[in-house]
Amino acid sequence: MKITFPHMGNVHFAAKALFEDLEIDYVVPPFSSKASLEIGSFHSAEEMCLPFKIMIGNYMHAIEEGADTVIITGSCGPCRFGEYCELQMNLLNKLGHKLDFIVVDSPGDIGVKELFARLGKISSSSSISKLNKIRALHQATKVVRLIDGVEAKARYLAGFEKNKGECKKLLNECKQEAQNCKKSQSMLALMNGYMDKLDNVALDNDKNPIKIAIIGEIYTVIEPFSNLYIEDKLMDYGVSTKRTLSPSWWLKNLVLSPTNLNQLDLKRKAKEYLPLMIGGHARECIGEAVLAHDEGFDGAIQIFPMGCMPEIVSKAILPKISKDKDFPILTLVVDEMTGEAGYVTRIEAFVDLLERRKDNVLSRC
Amino acid sequence: MYYLGVDVGSVSTDLVILDQDKQVKEKLYLRTKGKPIAAIQEGFRVLMNKYEKAEIAAVGTTGSGRQIASTLVGADAVKNEITAHAVAALDADDEVRTIIEIGGQDSKIIVIKNGIVTDFAMNTVCAAGTGSFLDRQAERLEIPIEEFGDYALQAKTTVRIAGRCAVFAESDMIHKQQMGYNEGEIIRGLCEALVRNYLNNVGKGKEIQSKVFFQGGVAANKGMKAAFEEALGITVAIPEHYNMMGAIGAALIAKDKVEKTGSTNFKGFDLAESVFSANSFECQGCSNNCEVVKIQENEIVIGCFGDRCGKWSNKLAV
Repeated sequence: MKITFPHMGNVHFAAKALFEDLEIDYVVPPFSSKASLEIGSFHSAEEMCLPFKIMIGNYMHAIEEGADTVIITGSCGPCRFGEYCELQMNLLNKLGHKLDFIVVDSPGDIGVKELFARLGKISSSSSISKLNKIRALHQATKVVRLIDGVEAKARYLAGFEKNKGECKKLLNECKQEAQNCKKSQSMLALMNGYMDKLDNVALDNDKNPIKIAIIGEIYTVIEPFSNLYIEDKLMDYGVSTKRTLSPSWWLKNLVLSPTNLNQLDLKRKAKEYLPLMIGGHARECIGEAVLAHDEGFDGAIQIFPMGCMPEIVSKAILPKISKDKDFPILTLVVDEMTGEAGYVTRIEAFVDLLERRKDNVLSRC
Repeated sequence: MYYLGVDVGSVSTDLVILDQDKQVKEKLYLRTKGKPIAAIQEGFRVLMNKYEKAEIAAVGTTGSGRQIASTLVGADAVKNEITAHAVAALDADDEVRTIIEIGGQDSKIIVIKNGIVTDFAMNTVCAAGTGSFLDRQAERLEIPIEEFGDYALQAKTTVRIAGRCAVFAESDMIHKQQMGYNEGEIIRGLCEALVRNYLNNVGKGKEIQSKVFFQGGVAANKGMKAAFEEALGITVAIPEHYNMMGAIGAALIAKDKVEKTGSTNFKGFDLAESVFSANSFECQGCSNNCEVVKIQENEIVIGCFGDRCGKWSNKLAV
């Protein structure tokens, strides 16, 4: 068994740590790129959403490197993502690739027993003791929490740094070096080291940077290739960003979902505008927009792939929030046809808009 | 002292020189023809005989070719076209509330409140209604683009054209021609269809309040202005330098910037005679495989862009 998985932001660090600790053979597909998107678009239906296409590209690259088993997360929620595993299995089968799919789904949908049975499939090929397997899983969750923490800190501090580009450099170095670490222990040590380095970045506390919340569909906000590296761009502009959705957020949400204690704050914030779960992360998106306003952010950018049903609903609600709270929100739609020039122009103009609003106190009257 | 603004757009490259009082001293409207470097050089060849390098206090660039233009001329400010258009419009009239801008490849709406931009939108999926489409239709009907608007105004009635998509609009126009409608009526119908398309796509959900400015190359088309006024029910004003607003905005932004920093990066008009070459290559440094563009002036590399990590673009402090 040689396991692979589709890319989604920092997930690959946790996966690498987990499989190395479990001593299971695995393939990290090359990072999502134009090449993965091209392969994916070629094999997928035209109207399929962007994440599906990039994921297919990831699988095809991994197959070239000998992968025979795919782990993906599932969802029984009312959105196309729930059909991803079936459609992808079907598609790869038609192309003549016999791949085993292990779908990790929410225990609320498939039951705890089934979830453990599926996870058992993965761990059965590992020869280490049961206790060590649990430890490996625990370590992997620590890795993803830590790297998400490093990333969030670097993105936020980017607006305050004295030496421009320092946070971005540290973040890139951390990610680069973590790819060469063996097992979770060395990875955690390295990431902790970078956390300390970020704490010691020279800050200009007189600065009052533009703060933007990144909200929207989970895959396109997390996987940097799919949103044309928007967070890196904002770092270059000296903007502080915050993104609530991350792999570690997802994990926590998954574990808590059967108890209904997940995302209480977001649900509460979204209540006035969207009290129902309508699929995907539309309710979270609305909640995050309200939360960002309450936390004193200057604006929010919503990103979603073309044709994403839940986010189209939230897109229709956001102008109301924007008007009620006098809070600018920019919506960006991405797919394989997205031209970078127009995309960058919108982001730049949005940052200008926020900057000018900030300078002009009268505008808030 | 003078301020230079350069707007490298998809269809036209505009250069403007403002004097101390922000009045337009010189304006050049050139066709880009897909060669931004050549267009800038052409413009500089005209300017170099009239102005000295030392007379230029600040340079700003904007438009889709703003990066390449900035590398070439040594810009003090590089700004997106939305901000540039808003700055220029506000300078022309500080009571403007809505800006309708239609250029060669894109159309925008900018909403202004209390002198600052509060909202904007750009066309996303379709280029129907932009300058290139009108250009192409004028060519097909063998009517000079300058007279296109007059034809629309002369028409007494209108023909409804499907304007959802540029391709369908064209087939619908051909169909109406075959049915025997006259050119004027078809052109008027086309203008109305494009305005409908604009208001439904770009202007959707935006409050369009007076005073409305209509700018960008398409504002020259009287038929479009009339169609906007009819659809909105309010008068639409066209600023004097409607097709230069981006360049004027860039010059104004650069002026402000230099007033803060104190000196300009302007490289001078000599570049008109330099030999430029642009090469692109795929960087093999990592799996991102960025397409990097390298600009050379007389065989010396003056700028790179397109890489994400800064390996190439940061090497040269431009």
